Amino acid sequence: MRRIDRSQLEQLCHLAQRDGRTLIGPTVRDGAIALAPITTAADLPVGWTDVQAPGRYRLSRTQGQRAFDFVVGPNSAKEQFFKPREPLYRAERRADGRVGFVAIVPEPEKRALLGVRACDLAAIAVQDAVFVEGAMRDPRYASRRADTLVIAVHCTRAGSLCFCASMGTGPKVNSGADLALAEREHDLLIEALTPAGEALLAQLSSEEASGEDLRWLDESVESARASMGRHVDTRAVHERLFAQLEHPRWKEVADRCLSCGNCTSVCPTCFCSTTEDRSDLDGSTAERDRLWESCFSREHSELHGHAVRGSTEQRYRQWLTHKLGAWVSQFGASGCVGCGRCIAWCPAGIDLTEELAALSTSDARALMPVAAPCAEEGRDEAMVPSPARVLSVTRESSDVVTLALAIDEPRPFAPGQFYQLSIPGIGEAPISVSGRDGAGVEHTIRAVGSLTRALCELSPGSELGVRGPYGRGWPMRELAGAPVVVVAGGIGLAPLREALRQMLADPQQYPDVRLFYGARTPEDLLYAREMLGWTDRRGFQLSITVDRSSPTWRGNVGVVTRLLKRSTVPDAARAILCGPEVMMRFTIQALARLGVTHDRIWLTMERHMKCATGHCGRCQFGPYFVCKDGPVFRYDEVASLFGRDGI
Amino acid sequence: MSERTFSVDLMTRVEGEGRFSLTVRDGKVIDASLAIFEAPRFFEAFLQGRSTHDVCDIVARICGICPIAYQMSAARALESALGLRTTPEIEQVRRLIYCGEWIESHALHVFMLHAPDFLGYESAIEMARDHKPLVERGLRLKKWGNRLIEVIGGRPSHPVSPRVGGFSRAPSKAALLAIRDDLARGVEESIETARWAATLPMPDLSCDYVFAAITGTSDYPLEFGTHIAVSGRGEWPVEQWGDVMVERHVRHSNALQATLADGTPYLCGPQARLHHHRDKLNPVARQLADELSLPATVDNPYRSIVVRAVELTHAFAEALAIVDRYERPEQAYVEGAMRAGVGYGATEAPRGLLWHRYELSADGTVAKATIVPPTSQNQARIEADLVALGPSLIAMEHKAATVRAEQLIRSYDPCISCATHFLELEINREDVP
Amino acid sequence: MGVFKLASCDGCQLTLLGCEDELLALAERVEIAHFPEASSRLDPHGTFDLVLVEGSVSAPFQRDELLSIRARAKKLVTIGACATSGGVQALRNGRDVKGFIASVYATPEYISTLDDSTPVSAHVPVDYELRGCPIDKRQLIEVLTALLVGRRPNIRDESVCMECKRQGNMCVLVTRDEPCLGPVTHAGCGALCPSFDRGCYGCFGPKEQAKTSALAARFQRDGMVPVELVRRFRGITAGAEAFKKEGERHE
Repeated sequence: MRRIDRSQLEQLCHLAQRDGRTLIGPTVRDGAIALAPITTAADLPVGWTDVQAPGRYRLSRTQGQRAFDFVVGPNSAKEQFFKPREPLYRAERRADGRVGFVAIVPEPEKRALLGVRACDLAAIAVQDAVFVEGAMRDPRYASRRADTLVIAVHCTRAGSLCFCASMGTGPKVNSGADLALAEREHDLLIEALTPAGEALLAQLSSEEASGEDLRWLDESVESARASMGRHVDTRAVHERLFAQLEHPRWKEVADRCLSCGNCTSVCPTCFCSTTEDRSDLDGSTAERDRLWESCFSREHSELHGHAVRGSTEQRYRQWLTHKLGAWVSQFGASGCVGCGRCIAWCPAGIDLTEELAALSTSDARALMPVAAPCAEEGRDEAMVPSPARVLSVTRESSDVVTLALAIDEPRPFAPGQFYQLSIPGIGEAPISVSGRDGAGVEHTIRAVGSLTRALCELSPGSELGVRGPYGRGWPMRELAGAPVVVVAGGIGLAPLREALRQMLADPQQYPDVRLFYGARTPEDLLYAREMLGWTDRRGFQLSITVDRSSPTWRGNVGVVTRLLKRSTVPDAARAILCGPEVMMRFTIQALARLGVTHDRIWLTMERHMKCATGHCGRCQFGPYFVCKDGPVFRYDEVASLFGRDGI
Repeated sequence: MSERTFSVDLMTRVEGEGRFSLTVRDGKVIDASLAIFEAPRFFEAFLQGRSTHDVCDIVARICGICPIAYQMSAARALESALGLRTTPEIEQVRRLIYCGEWIESHALHVFMLHAPDFLGYESAIEMARDHKPLVERGLRLKKWGNRLIEVIGGRPSHPVSPRVGGFSRAPSKAALLAIRDDLARGVEESIETARWAATLPMPDLSCDYVFAAITGTSDYPLEFGTHIAVSGRGEWPVEQWGDVMVERHVRHSNALQATLADGTPYLCGPQARLHHHRDKLNPVARQLADELSLPATVDNPYRSIVVRAVELTHAFAEALAIVDRYERPEQAYVEGAMRAGVGYGATEAPRGLLWHRYELSADGTVAKATIVPPTSQNQARIEADLVALGPSLIAMEHKAATVRAEQLIRSYDPCISCATHFLELEINREDVP
Repeated sequence: MGVFKLASCDGCQLTLLGCEDELLALAERVEIAHFPEASSRLDPHGTFDLVLVEGSVSAPFQRDELLSIRARAKKLVTIGACATSGGVQALRNGRDVKGFIASVYATPEYISTLDDSTPVSAHVPVDYELRGCPIDKRQLIEVLTALLVGRRPNIRDESVCMECKRQGNMCVLVTRDEPCLGPVTHAGCGALCPSFDRGCYGCFGPKEQAKTSALAARFQRDGMVPVELVRRFRGITAGAEAFKKEGERHE
């Protein structure tokens, strides 16, 4: 630990900007202390402090000359690495006439962050976990983050909305920084935490800190810890929160919540995003942008044109249970670092710590499943499609077609996985693989929205973009050896087809396979010819039903669960299901009655999978991201949340 | 007895919806009317009871083409009612944004609305097929005006920063410098525009105008004036304009029209401004007017396109000069206590004199609002012009005569949306053949 | 394409002419068959693939005209606050319109107007609504482009706050109690007002899930009196349901 004179701050700012490094530090702007590019110590908020209350932030003059005499402003390091809006790629016609997708990845940038607090260091670590430490790395975040010099500041005073002590993230800086400062009126204590920090410190004029200095620091930090303006009880908070999904407080807070999204925007860990496709008027080029989104916006939970979380009550519950609950399962740490920003910058002044206390009226705990670690090794995922070409188009019914696609540099896929298919300028959607046809990867698509309509109108030779495959597929290994019951509803047969083909091709492993398939009308039955071919195979049984009959239909009429009987579902069967959520719910009940327990049922969850890399937050479902932890789940992994409104 | 009626049921390339009818019997005009069937919107009524600070936002909505004119006249009137004095720095920003509106509105009118008449096209888009560089120039000039407004006010229509006392935020010098080169090019290209406009074939028509424009400063009138000058009549303080001018409820169009107290129609707008203030044009624009031998008094309404183009140069040159010497004002607006009072404000909208009067209650809410837009004032004059034009149409083929009459009305750049902010008229579509 | 106008200030259709960089390219892709403000070529009785309607219904003839337009339009897009919520002229709704007229006109019996100014959607089905007073140029281009290529337009129905925060603005409400309707207002303007140091006045109308009562409670805590609360919500989009109701609550 060394001590430097206040005048050394200028030198510190200077050194931090060497080698073309951009210095980001606190500065007064429009009535708040913002993090922004600065060039000199004169830009620091010397003599300013902040006074915060729920829904209120004010600057106030101090009599002193400290530069870090405040706690946190509205913005954090988040926006330095995870940009509020940035382009992902540009699609254009290449010289050879084919569609090309050009990734837009920023040049590596060098940054120095000055004045970062312990809570924000924890937040940076959380965002690192999301964007670079998972199975898929976001190269944009990674390139901005890679070369960052961090000069942190110990908090020697707590703000009225601070609760880092509760969250275990502060007030003392322990790691995540190169240098840590502690500021007094006339001087600062400074400590190097990394070799880079040491190198920098060596160039400052400093002297060894005295025992008294060290005592001052300990006492000041302890006093800050003891005077936190807010407090939360974090013991088993995620299990307790998930036990309170029906608590009346959600409704009560929804009366005060504006669902404006300010809390998520100022939160230093919130990482949800969405994308926008743009194209010019003549359609010759198209671009895709990524931008910050909020779970308080309707669109965030949109699925097939309606919002899974339609009400503010559901959105607030989603936010809090994710931030303080599911986050722990997903990333091993809470999504809340105790900075208090969501309280200060909420126009309605909603206090997360107060809500949490109100929700903690019972000690009930819900067992939270932990997402299985993704098997894949870490790799860069720039979310840029590769070009693909339509080899063939098979019309399956009036609104369903199967496209066989030739994919450049294909990776092997497993049944149940999905690809992101995109048409430049129109959009992108997750579509399950429905099979393999020679060199082609097949996708069966129903025309429902603008993108799927456009996909269904493609013809052989058409070009599109694909990325994938993604996700966890059907548990082919677990299904081996047991009788397999396959239950499909409508287009839900598509993600099951490749699994069926593989099972039927291997009677040794899968001697007993039974398909129960329900469609709206006889005309909507998919793969009818192929299914008839399967019936020749020994050990395969096919039962079909339709909701609405036709004059020539001689088969079953009614819901698919009526086909599930003691006579048709063998003991010890394992089941895989895909169809509308309500159909799956009834199927699970029916199977359970027939003795097929929850740990022998697998299903595909449907949520809007936008990025497919676990980064956008769209498909968050309890402790999971459906895109990477699913879409296939064993039912007992999701049973507590499946079919519940607004999850 | 011969009688011919020339009429257009839906006037095009004007702002808002109106129709006109001109009936000539035995070589004499027996009826000339510019009627407006735009639906009424009652602005003055619902301004009552609004806070002083709501007024600029609400009156902007009277017109999508010249919202700044409404905001400026209103702000001025309210400031005079409250006894507020703005700073010269704030006034510079006002002139600057107003220049943007002149540029945007004049470029729109010269190129998109008026030029197709002279060159024989139905629209600028159609005209672009044969005269693409010309239309592109128009779009460019218009864009530069809009950009200027955006930098200061956020958006071209209904900008958000103008307020009583000044602006909620003054533009940074850097933001203005970023568009400086566009303004400089605008000066050059608007000069070319005026030269081109001067070559257009002008139909013959000479009218005996009474011109009204604001005055009282050493500058070409724009965002401020203390008096209103009426040619051949004299000058009156802005506060007295309500006594000099009267608004009448005219039967044939069910519209309020303004005339001088003795019933004389008068003209406001570019020709009126030029008449009173040609010598105050920005030197670049004045030199241009000299080059084009443009006299102070332009009595042929069709020739207003040249006057507008010269004003376009004036606005670009003024804007450029302001940007070049601009320093961000320390204070973007001034504030004062609310009080009861009456205030008047007049500014020069692109299409002419816009006069506002407000009575405020002690808490600063509006007790009464009166707004006299340029098109209401020009409407009687337009009808008088139709009367003057009538006899010359008799010899013409019907369609050409109708087009000629419509072109005449268009010369005034009438803004019917503005005019109907308080007008009401009978809607009787069955009478339309 | 046809562009039609009801009661309005022309600002939204002017936004189309304000697409200076795109206008000629657009005209090459789209036949603009009826656009009185820009062209003397009219086709008032034709059929259209796309109709843009500006303005609110505030006179009886406009109701009839609208029904006729709808019948001839494959897609009808309303542009702006007037067409989408009744506009600023909806401030007259619920007030004594006959009184207004009588006070101004000598022959009130000639005056033909409706008591309320209503949005297009109150009379005919609307395929797409573009918010704003005026509409945002980028959003207009986006809707036209999206319709041309057949995608759903990227028009986000989030709050103004989301745009405001993405831009890095300071919150005027939190830092200085400036009454700002941003938290309950539909995004699309680019958070203009806060960018210019003032509170949002709601010209894009209420967003979905607009919890106006919670915002009004905040304004009251900051000392706003009921009459002023009424004025805040009764502004440019006074006719929009959420704002209308909130205004009424404080009357």
